[in-house]
Amino acid sequence: MTSIDLTDPQTIAFLTDALTTAGVDGVEISGPSGTLRIIMSAEEKVSHAAPAPSPALSIKAPMAGIFCPPRPGSSEVPADLPRTVAAGQALGFLRLGPVLLPLAAPKAGLLTRQFVEAGALVGFGDTLFQIEPQS
Amino acid sequence: MIEIIETGPFNTVQDLGRPGYRDIGVSASGAMDPLAVRIGNSLLGNDEGAAVLEIQTFPFCLRFDRRAVFIVSGSDGAPLLDGIEKLSWCAHHAEAGQVLELRQPPKLARAYVCIAGGLDIAPVMGSRSTSLRGGFGGHAGRPLQKGDRIAIGDDASLLAVPPSGLAVVEPLVALADVFPQSTDGAVLVRALPAGEHGLFAEDGAAFWNQTWRISARSDRTGYRLSGDPIMPTDVVEMRSHGVVPGVIQVPPGGEPIVQMSDANTAGGYPKIAGVIECDLWRLGQARIGSRLRFVRSTHAQARAVEQAVARYIEDVKVTSGMVKRALKAFA
Repeated sequence: MTSIDLTDPQTIAFLTDALTTAGVDGVEISGPSGTLRIIMSAEEKVSHAAPAPSPALSIKAPMAGIFCPPRPGSSEVPADLPRTVAAGQALGFLRLGPVLLPLAAPKAGLLTRQFVEAGALVGFGDTLFQIEPQS
Repeated sequence: MIEIIETGPFNTVQDLGRPGYRDIGVSASGAMDPLAVRIGNSLLGNDEGAAVLEIQTFPFCLRFDRRAVFIVSGSDGAPLLDGIEKLSWCAHHAEAGQVLELRQPPKLARAYVCIAGGLDIAPVMGSRSTSLRGGFGGHAGRPLQKGDRIAIGDDASLLAVPPSGLAVVEPLVALADVFPQSTDGAVLVRALPAGEHGLFAEDGAAFWNQTWRISARSDRTGYRLSGDPIMPTDVVEMRSHGVVPGVIQVPPGGEPIVQMSDANTAGGYPKIAGVIECDLWRLGQARIGSRLRFVRSTHAQARAVEQAVARYIEDVKVTSGMVKRALKAFA
Protein backbone atom coordinates (compact mmCIF):
# COMPACT_ATOMS: atom_id res chain seq x y z
CA MET A 1 0.00 0.00 0.00
CA THR A 2 1.35 3.40 -0.98
CA SER A 3 1.10 5.96 1.75
CA ILE A 4 -0.43 9.29 0.78
CA ASP A 5 1.02 12.54 1.97
CA LEU A 6 -1.64 14.06 4.17
CA THR A 7 0.17 17.37 4.23
CA ASP A 8 -0.03 17.77 0.43
CA PRO A 9 -2.49 20.62 -0.34
CA GLN A 10 -3.48 18.86 -3.61
CA THR A 11 -4.46 15.71 -1.72
CA ILE A 12 -6.45 17.76 0.78
CA ALA A 13 -8.24 19.62 -2.02
CA PHE A 14 -9.03 16.32 -3.79
CA LEU A 15 -10.44 14.77 -0.63
CA THR A 16 -12.51 17.88 0.12
CA ASP A 17 -14.02 17.81 -3.36
CA ALA A 18 -14.80 14.11 -2.98
CA LEU A 19 -16.53 14.73 0.39
CA THR A 20 -18.55 17.62 -1.07
CA THR A 21 -19.70 15.48 -4.01
CA ALA A 22 -20.66 12.63 -1.71
CA GLY A 23 -22.50 14.96 0.68
CA VAL A 24 -20.45 13.63 3.59
CA ASP A 25 -20.04 15.76 6.73
CA GLY A 26 -16.33 15.08 7.24
CA VAL A 27 -13.52 12.58 7.46
CA GLU A 28 -10.65 11.82 9.79
CA ILE A 29 -7.56 9.95 8.54
CA SER A 30 -4.76 8.87 10.84
CA GLY A 31 -1.35 7.79 9.58
CA PRO A 32 2.28 7.63 10.68
CA SER A 33 2.81 11.20 9.57
CA GLY A 34 -0.06 12.53 11.63
CA THR A 35 -3.83 12.99 11.49
CA LEU A 36 -5.89 14.83 8.91
CA ARG A 37 -9.39 15.94 9.79
CA ILE A 38 -11.60 17.59 7.22
CA ILE A 39 -14.94 18.95 8.42
CA MET A 40 -17.29 20.43 5.86
CA SER A 41 -18.53 23.89 6.86
CA ALA A 42 -22.18 24.33 7.84
CA GLU A 43 -22.89 26.45 4.73
CA GLU A 44 -21.39 23.81 2.46
CA LYS A 45 -23.46 21.14 4.10
CA VAL A 46 -26.74 23.00 3.69
CA SER A 47 -26.07 23.93 0.11
CA HIS A 48 -25.01 20.46 -0.94
CA ALA A 49 -27.28 18.27 1.19
CA ALA A 50 -29.94 16.31 -0.69
CA PRO A 51 -33.53 17.16 0.31
CA ALA A 52 -34.16 15.46 3.66
CA PRO A 53 -35.83 12.08 2.96
CA SER A 54 -38.96 11.47 5.02
CA PRO A 55 -38.02 9.02 7.75
CA ALA A 56 -38.85 5.57 6.39
CA LEU A 57 -40.66 3.13 8.67
CA SER A 58 -39.64 -0.50 8.74
CA ILE A 59 -42.22 -3.16 9.38
CA LYS A 60 -40.56 -6.05 11.15
CA ALA A 61 -41.74 -9.59 11.78
CA PRO A 62 -43.32 -9.71 15.28
CA MET A 63 -42.50 -13.43 15.43
CA ALA A 64 -41.29 -16.25 13.24
CA GLY A 65 -43.56 -17.51 10.47
CA ILE A 66 -44.09 -18.01 6.76
CA PHE A 67 -44.34 -14.69 4.94
CA CYS A 68 -47.55 -14.45 2.87
CA PRO A 69 -48.02 -11.06 1.14
CA PRO A 70 -51.52 -11.92 -0.19
CA ARG A 71 -53.76 -14.00 2.06
CA PRO A 72 -53.49 -17.72 1.25
CA GLY A 73 -56.30 -18.64 -1.11
CA SER A 74 -56.81 -15.05 -2.23
CA SER A 75 -56.85 -14.47 -5.96
CA GLU A 76 -55.90 -10.85 -5.40
CA VAL A 77 -52.64 -9.82 -7.06
CA PRO A 78 -50.92 -7.10 -5.01
CA ALA A 79 -50.29 -3.89 -6.95
CA ASP A 80 -46.70 -3.03 -7.91
CA LEU A 81 -44.53 -1.03 -5.54
CA PRO A 82 -44.47 1.74 -4.63
CA ARG A 83 -48.15 1.97 -3.75
CA THR A 84 -50.11 3.95 -1.19
CA VAL A 85 -51.42 2.15 1.86
CA ALA A 86 -53.84 3.21 4.58
CA ALA A 87 -53.03 3.19 8.28
CA GLY A 88 -53.92 -0.20 9.73
CA GLN A 89 -54.17 -1.85 6.30
CA ALA A 90 -52.87 -5.43 6.26
CA LEU A 91 -49.75 -5.41 4.04
CA GLY A 92 -49.39 -9.15 4.36
CA PHE A 93 -49.49 -11.98 6.85
CA LEU A 94 -47.25 -14.29 8.81
CA ARG A 95 -48.60 -17.80 8.56
CA LEU A 96 -48.24 -20.25 11.43
CA GLY A 97 -50.11 -23.43 10.53
CA PRO A 98 -53.75 -22.40 9.99
CA VAL A 99 -53.28 -19.06 11.80
CA LEU A 100 -52.45 -15.80 10.01
CA LEU A 101 -50.97 -12.82 11.81
CA PRO A 102 -51.82 -9.63 9.87
CA LEU A 103 -48.90 -7.22 9.30
CA ALA A 104 -50.57 -3.84 9.56
CA ALA A 105 -49.25 -0.56 8.19
CA PRO A 106 -48.49 1.57 11.28
CA LYS A 107 -49.19 4.77 9.32
CA ALA A 108 -50.64 5.82 5.99
CA GLY A 109 -47.95 6.26 3.38
CA LEU A 110 -46.12 4.91 0.41
CA LEU A 111 -45.17 1.24 0.55
CA THR A 112 -41.78 1.40 -1.12
CA ARG A 113 -40.11 -1.90 -0.47
CA GLN A 114 -40.79 -5.53 0.31
CA PHE A 115 -37.67 -7.26 1.55
CA VAL A 116 -38.75 -10.90 1.62
CA GLU A 117 -40.05 -13.29 -1.01
CA ALA A 118 -43.54 -14.76 -0.62
CA GLY A 119 -43.41 -18.13 1.12
CA ALA A 120 -40.09 -17.45 2.89
CA LEU A 121 -39.61 -18.39 6.53
CA VAL A 122 -38.82 -15.23 8.49
CA GLY A 123 -37.55 -14.78 12.03
CA PHE A 124 -38.44 -12.40 14.83
CA GLY A 125 -37.33 -8.87 13.93
CA ASP A 126 -36.66 -9.48 10.23
CA THR A 127 -37.52 -6.38 8.21
CA LEU A 128 -40.39 -7.17 5.82
CA PHE A 129 -41.59 -3.84 4.42
CA GLN A 130 -40.59 -0.20 4.27
CA ILE A 131 -43.10 2.63 4.28
CA GLU A 132 -42.52 6.34 3.70
CA PRO A 133 -45.19 7.97 5.84
CA GLN A 134 -47.35 10.61 4.21
CA SER A 135 -49.46 13.07 6.06
CA MET B 1 -73.94 -5.17 25.11
CA ILE B 2 -74.46 -5.03 21.38
CA GLU B 3 -77.42 -3.24 19.87
CA ILE B 4 -78.98 -4.27 16.57
CA ILE B 5 -79.43 -1.11 14.53
CA GLU B 6 -80.39 -2.63 11.18
CA THR B 7 -81.42 -6.15 10.21
CA GLY B 8 -83.31 -8.07 7.56
CA PRO B 9 -85.71 -10.90 8.42
CA PHE B 10 -84.66 -14.29 9.82
CA ASN B 11 -81.34 -13.33 11.35
CA THR B 12 -81.02 -15.25 14.60
CA VAL B 13 -78.84 -16.19 17.56
CA GLN B 14 -77.39 -19.66 16.94
CA ASP B 15 -74.84 -22.07 18.34
CA LEU B 16 -74.09 -25.69 17.45
CA GLY B 17 -77.67 -26.77 18.11
CA ARG B 18 -79.87 -28.61 20.54
CA PRO B 19 -79.48 -32.31 19.91
CA GLY B 20 -81.09 -34.98 22.05
CA TYR B 21 -84.69 -33.78 22.23
CA ARG B 22 -86.10 -35.03 18.95
CA ASP B 23 -88.11 -37.65 20.85
CA ILE B 24 -90.20 -34.84 22.30
CA GLY B 25 -90.46 -33.03 18.98
CA VAL B 26 -87.68 -30.47 19.45
CA SER B 27 -85.71 -29.69 16.27
CA ALA B 28 -81.94 -29.60 16.48
CA SER B 29 -81.64 -25.95 15.30
CA GLY B 30 -78.11 -24.53 15.31
CA ALA B 31 -76.00 -22.72 12.72
CA MET B 32 -76.39 -23.66 9.05
CA ASP B 33 -72.57 -23.34 8.78
CA PRO B 34 -71.39 -24.90 12.05
CA LEU B 35 -67.78 -24.97 10.81
CA ALA B 36 -67.72 -21.14 10.62
CA VAL B 37 -69.02 -20.99 14.20
CA ARG B 38 -66.46 -23.49 15.51
CA ILE B 39 -63.55 -21.71 13.80
CA GLY B 40 -64.70 -18.20 14.77
CA ASN B 41 -65.11 -19.15 18.40
CA SER B 42 -61.87 -21.16 18.48
CA LEU B 43 -59.83 -18.23 17.16
CA LEU B 44 -61.29 -15.96 19.84
CA GLY B 45 -60.61 -18.51 22.59
CA ASN B 46 -64.33 -19.11 23.23
CA ASP B 47 -65.86 -22.56 23.60
CA GLU B 48 -66.44 -23.63 20.01
CA GLY B 49 -70.17 -23.78 20.66
CA ALA B 50 -70.55 -20.25 22.13
CA ALA B 51 -73.61 -18.35 20.88
CA VAL B 52 -73.14 -16.17 17.78
CA LEU B 53 -75.29 -14.21 15.35
CA GLU B 54 -76.28 -15.94 12.12
CA ILE B 55 -76.86 -13.32 9.43
CA GLN B 56 -78.57 -14.44 6.25
CA THR B 57 -80.33 -11.24 5.15
CA PHE B 58 -78.39 -8.06 4.55
CA PRO B 59 -77.44 -5.32 5.22
CA PHE B 60 -77.05 -5.91 8.94
CA CYS B 61 -75.63 -3.41 11.44
CA LEU B 62 -74.86 -3.58 15.12
CA ARG B 63 -73.24 -1.19 17.58
CA PHE B 64 -70.86 -2.23 20.33
CA ASP B 65 -71.48 -0.37 23.56
CA ARG B 66 -68.23 -1.57 25.09
CA ARG B 67 -64.82 -2.63 23.83
CA ALA B 68 -65.06 -6.07 22.29
CA VAL B 69 -63.17 -8.46 20.06
CA PHE B 70 -65.18 -9.93 17.20
CA ILE B 71 -64.77 -12.03 14.08
CA VAL B 72 -67.02 -12.33 11.05
CA SER B 73 -66.68 -15.89 9.76
CA GLY B 74 -68.41 -17.93 7.08
CA SER B 75 -68.68 -14.98 4.73
CA ASP B 76 -66.60 -14.39 1.62
CA GLY B 77 -67.22 -10.63 1.91
CA ALA B 78 -65.49 -7.97 4.00
CA PRO B 79 -67.37 -6.47 6.97
CA LEU B 80 -67.18 -2.73 7.68
CA LEU B 81 -66.22 -1.28 11.07
CA ASP B 82 -67.23 2.38 11.18
CA GLY B 83 -67.24 2.27 7.38
CA ILE B 84 -63.72 0.85 7.04
CA GLU B 85 -63.34 -2.54 5.36
CA LYS B 86 -62.01 -5.26 7.63
CA LEU B 87 -60.86 -8.76 6.84
CA SER B 88 -63.34 -11.58 7.28
CA TRP B 89 -62.19 -14.73 9.12
CA CYS B 90 -60.11 -12.36 11.27
CA ALA B 91 -60.49 -11.31 14.91
CA HIS B 92 -60.58 -7.51 15.31
CA HIS B 93 -60.83 -5.08 18.20
CA ALA B 94 -63.88 -2.80 18.33
CA GLU B 95 -64.17 0.25 20.56
CA ALA B 96 -67.32 1.25 22.43
CA GLY B 97 -69.68 2.99 20.00
CA GLN B 98 -68.25 1.46 16.83
CA VAL B 99 -70.67 0.11 14.25
CA LEU B 100 -70.17 -3.21 12.48
CA GLU B 101 -71.88 -3.54 9.11
CA LEU B 102 -72.30 -6.72 7.08
CA ARG B 103 -73.17 -6.53 3.41
CA GLN B 104 -74.42 -9.30 1.13
CA PRO B 105 -71.55 -11.75 0.69
CA PRO B 106 -70.42 -11.99 -2.97
CA LYS B 107 -71.10 -15.70 -3.40
CA LEU B 108 -72.06 -17.32 -0.11
CA ALA B 109 -75.27 -17.31 1.88
CA ARG B 110 -74.46 -16.70 5.54
CA ALA B 111 -72.13 -14.76 7.80
CA TYR B 112 -71.52 -15.31 11.51
CA VAL B 113 -70.65 -12.63 14.04
CA CYS B 114 -68.70 -14.27 16.87
CA ILE B 115 -67.72 -12.13 19.87
CA ALA B 116 -65.07 -12.90 22.49
CA GLY B 117 -66.93 -14.07 25.59
CA GLY B 118 -69.87 -15.28 23.47
CA LEU B 119 -73.41 -13.90 23.58
CA ASP B 120 -74.61 -14.03 27.18
CA ILE B 121 -77.97 -15.74 26.76
CA ALA B 122 -79.61 -18.28 29.06
CA PRO B 123 -79.50 -21.74 27.48
CA VAL B 124 -82.72 -23.67 26.94
CA MET B 125 -82.35 -27.46 26.93
CA GLY B 126 -78.59 -27.10 26.72
CA SER B 127 -78.47 -24.68 23.79
CA ARG B 128 -78.62 -20.95 23.04
CA SER B 129 -79.81 -21.47 19.47
CA THR B 130 -83.11 -19.96 18.39
CA SER B 131 -85.88 -22.49 17.79
CA LEU B 132 -88.09 -20.56 15.37
CA ARG B 133 -90.64 -23.36 15.25
CA GLY B 134 -90.91 -23.57 19.03
CA GLY B 135 -90.49 -19.84 19.66
CA PHE B 136 -87.85 -20.33 22.35
CA GLY B 137 -84.10 -20.12 22.77
CA GLY B 138 -81.77 -17.48 21.32
CA HIS B 139 -82.93 -13.89 21.72
CA ALA B 140 -86.56 -14.02 22.95
CA GLY B 141 -87.21 -17.09 20.79
CA ARG B 142 -87.50 -14.99 17.63
CA PRO B 143 -85.44 -13.45 14.81
CA LEU B 144 -83.46 -10.31 15.61
CA GLN B 145 -85.18 -6.93 15.38
CA LYS B 146 -83.90 -3.39 15.23
CA GLY B 147 -83.30 -2.13 18.77
CA ASP B 148 -82.57 -5.57 20.28
CA ARG B 149 -79.83 -5.43 22.88
CA ILE B 150 -77.84 -8.57 23.65
CA ALA B 151 -75.30 -8.98 26.44
CA ILE B 152 -71.74 -10.12 25.73
CA GLY B 153 -70.21 -12.74 28.03
CA ASP B 154 -67.13 -12.14 30.16
CA ASP B 155 -63.95 -12.19 28.08
CA ALA B 156 -61.50 -11.11 30.83
CA SER B 157 -59.98 -14.58 31.15
CA LEU B 158 -59.27 -14.96 27.41
CA LEU B 159 -55.81 -14.44 25.94
CA ALA B 160 -55.52 -11.04 24.25
CA VAL B 161 -55.86 -10.85 20.47
CA PRO B 162 -52.98 -8.76 18.99
CA PRO B 163 -53.91 -5.13 18.15
CA SER B 164 -53.67 -5.71 14.39
CA GLY B 165 -55.90 -8.77 14.67
CA LEU B 166 -55.55 -12.50 14.15
CA ALA B 167 -56.86 -14.37 11.12
CA VAL B 168 -57.22 -17.97 9.97
CA VAL B 169 -56.69 -19.70 6.68
CA GLU B 170 -60.35 -20.31 5.84
CA PRO B 171 -61.57 -23.91 5.60
CA LEU B 172 -61.99 -24.12 1.82
CA VAL B 173 -58.32 -23.10 1.47
CA ALA B 174 -56.85 -24.93 4.46
CA LEU B 175 -58.87 -28.08 3.70
CA ALA B 176 -58.77 -27.83 -0.11
CA ASP B 177 -57.89 -31.52 -0.39
CA VAL B 178 -60.76 -32.49 1.93
CA PHE B 179 -63.57 -30.46 0.31
CA PRO B 180 -63.59 -31.04 -3.45
CA GLN B 181 -64.50 -28.14 -5.73
CA SER B 182 -66.13 -28.63 -9.11
CA THR B 183 -64.85 -26.93 -12.22
CA ASP B 184 -68.30 -25.63 -13.23
CA GLY B 185 -69.17 -23.89 -9.96
CA ALA B 186 -71.72 -26.48 -8.77
CA VAL B 187 -71.36 -27.29 -5.07
CA LEU B 188 -70.30 -30.90 -4.52
CA VAL B 189 -72.10 -32.48 -1.58
CA ARG B 190 -71.21 -35.96 -0.44
CA ALA B 191 -74.01 -38.28 0.63
CA LEU B 192 -74.62 -41.88 1.62
CA PRO B 193 -77.46 -44.01 0.20
CA ALA B 194 -80.33 -44.11 2.74
CA GLY B 195 -83.20 -46.44 3.66
CA GLU B 196 -85.31 -46.26 0.49
CA HIS B 197 -82.45 -45.84 -1.99
CA GLY B 198 -83.35 -49.24 -3.46
CA LEU B 199 -86.76 -47.94 -4.59
CA PHE B 200 -85.10 -45.81 -7.27
CA ALA B 201 -84.14 -47.33 -10.61
CA GLU B 202 -80.58 -48.01 -11.73
CA ASP B 203 -79.18 -47.53 -8.27
CA GLY B 204 -80.54 -43.98 -8.06
CA ALA B 205 -78.64 -42.88 -11.19
CA ALA B 206 -81.07 -40.02 -11.91
CA PHE B 207 -80.47 -38.63 -8.43
CA TRP B 208 -76.69 -38.92 -8.39
CA ASN B 209 -76.00 -37.91 -11.97
CA GLN B 210 -77.93 -34.69 -12.37
CA THR B 211 -77.13 -31.15 -11.34
CA TRP B 212 -79.85 -29.84 -9.00
CA ARG B 213 -80.81 -26.26 -8.39
CA ILE B 214 -81.70 -24.91 -4.94
CA SER B 215 -85.25 -23.59 -5.34
CA ALA B 216 -86.71 -20.43 -3.82
CA ARG B 217 -88.72 -22.63 -1.44
CA SER B 218 -85.64 -23.23 0.69
CA ASP B 219 -84.84 -22.01 4.18
CA ARG B 220 -83.32 -23.15 7.47
CA THR B 221 -85.88 -25.98 7.64
CA GLY B 222 -84.96 -27.57 4.34
CA TYR B 223 -83.81 -27.05 0.79
CA ARG B 224 -86.20 -28.01 -1.98
CA LEU B 225 -84.27 -28.89 -5.11
CA SER B 226 -85.47 -28.44 -8.65
CA GLY B 227 -84.47 -30.63 -11.57
CA ASP B 228 -85.80 -33.65 -13.48
CA PRO B 229 -88.17 -35.43 -11.05
CA ILE B 230 -87.05 -38.83 -9.82
CA MET B 231 -89.72 -41.41 -9.18
CA PRO B 232 -89.57 -44.60 -7.14
CA THR B 233 -90.28 -47.79 -9.08
CA ASP B 234 -92.88 -48.71 -6.45
CA VAL B 235 -95.31 -46.48 -4.59
CA VAL B 236 -94.83 -47.22 -0.91
CA GLU B 237 -96.87 -46.17 2.08
CA MET B 238 -94.49 -45.38 4.90
CA ARG B 239 -95.06 -44.64 8.54
CA SER B 240 -93.57 -41.39 9.82
CA HIS B 241 -90.08 -41.96 11.11
CA GLY B 242 -87.32 -39.89 12.67
CA VAL B 243 -85.56 -37.37 10.44
CA VAL B 244 -82.28 -35.54 11.03
CA PRO B 245 -80.55 -32.65 9.22
CA GLY B 246 -78.97 -33.97 6.03
CA VAL B 247 -81.68 -36.50 5.20
CA ILE B 248 -82.74 -36.25 1.55
CA GLN B 249 -86.37 -37.14 1.01
CA VAL B 250 -88.21 -37.64 -2.26
CA PRO B 251 -91.84 -36.42 -2.03
CA PRO B 252 -94.43 -37.58 -4.59
CA GLY B 253 -93.51 -34.73 -6.99
CA GLY B 254 -90.04 -36.28 -7.39
CA GLU B 255 -87.98 -33.21 -6.52
CA PRO B 256 -85.83 -33.93 -3.45
CA ILE B 257 -85.89 -32.07 -0.13
CA VAL B 258 -82.72 -31.84 1.96
CA GLN B 259 -83.52 -31.42 5.64
CA MET B 260 -81.49 -28.64 7.23
CA SER B 261 -80.87 -27.25 10.76
CA ASP B 262 -84.52 -26.54 11.61
CA ALA B 263 -85.63 -29.90 10.17
CA ASN B 264 -88.85 -31.48 11.33
CA THR B 265 -88.20 -34.26 13.79
CA ALA B 266 -90.22 -36.81 11.78
CA GLY B 267 -91.35 -37.34 8.22
CA GLY B 268 -92.86 -39.98 5.98
CA TYR B 269 -91.34 -39.48 2.53
CA PRO B 270 -88.92 -42.08 1.16
CA LYS B 271 -85.28 -41.24 1.94
CA ILE B 272 -82.93 -41.66 -1.00
CA ALA B 273 -79.74 -40.49 0.71
CA GLY B 274 -78.22 -38.59 3.62
CA VAL B 275 -75.65 -35.77 3.37
CA ILE B 276 -72.53 -36.51 5.39
CA GLU B 277 -72.45 -34.24 8.44
CA CYS B 278 -69.15 -32.54 7.53
CA ASP B 279 -70.56 -31.40 4.16
CA LEU B 280 -73.74 -29.83 5.58
CA TRP B 281 -72.00 -26.47 5.97
CA ARG B 282 -71.39 -26.31 2.25
CA LEU B 283 -75.13 -26.63 1.67
CA GLY B 284 -75.70 -24.07 4.43
CA GLN B 285 -73.53 -21.62 2.47
CA ALA B 286 -75.18 -22.38 -0.89
CA ARG B 287 -77.57 -19.66 -1.98
CA ILE B 288 -81.02 -20.05 -3.46
CA GLY B 289 -80.60 -20.52 -7.22
CA SER B 290 -77.17 -22.13 -6.95
CA ARG B 291 -76.44 -25.54 -8.41
CA LEU B 292 -75.26 -28.65 -6.65
CA ARG B 293 -74.43 -32.26 -7.33
CA PHE B 294 -74.45 -35.15 -4.89
CA VAL B 295 -71.37 -37.32 -4.78
CA ARG B 296 -71.82 -40.86 -3.54
CA SER B 297 -69.63 -41.34 -0.50
CA THR B 298 -68.82 -44.01 2.06
CA HIS B 299 -68.89 -44.16 5.84
CA ALA B 300 -65.09 -44.45 5.82
CA GLN B 301 -64.76 -41.28 3.73
CA ALA B 302 -67.23 -39.41 5.95
CA ARG B 303 -65.17 -40.42 8.98
CA ALA B 304 -61.92 -39.32 7.31
CA VAL B 305 -63.40 -35.90 6.49
CA GLU B 306 -64.61 -35.54 10.08
CA GLN B 307 -61.14 -36.35 11.39
CA ALA B 308 -59.45 -33.87 9.03
CA VAL B 309 -61.86 -31.12 10.12
CA ALA B 310 -61.29 -31.95 13.80
CA ARG B 311 -57.49 -31.75 13.31
CA TYR B 312 -57.81 -28.38 11.59
CA ILE B 313 -59.98 -26.93 14.38
CA GLU B 314 -57.66 -28.29 17.05
CA ASP B 315 -54.73 -26.74 15.17
CA VAL B 316 -56.55 -23.36 15.10
CA LYS B 317 -57.12 -23.56 18.87
CA VAL B 318 -53.57 -24.58 19.78
CA THR B 319 -51.73 -22.33 17.31
CA SER B 320 -53.83 -19.21 17.97
CA GLY B 321 -53.25 -19.65 21.71
CA MET B 322 -49.52 -20.04 21.10
CA VAL B 323 -49.36 -16.91 18.90
CA LYS B 324 -51.30 -14.84 21.46
CA ARG B 325 -49.00 -15.97 24.28
CA ALA B 326 -45.84 -15.34 22.23
CA LEU B 327 -46.88 -11.81 21.25
CA LYS B 328 -47.84 -11.04 24.84
CA ALA B 329 -44.33 -12.15 25.91
CA PHE B 330 -42.60 -10.07 23.21
CA ALA B 331 -44.73 -6.98 23.88
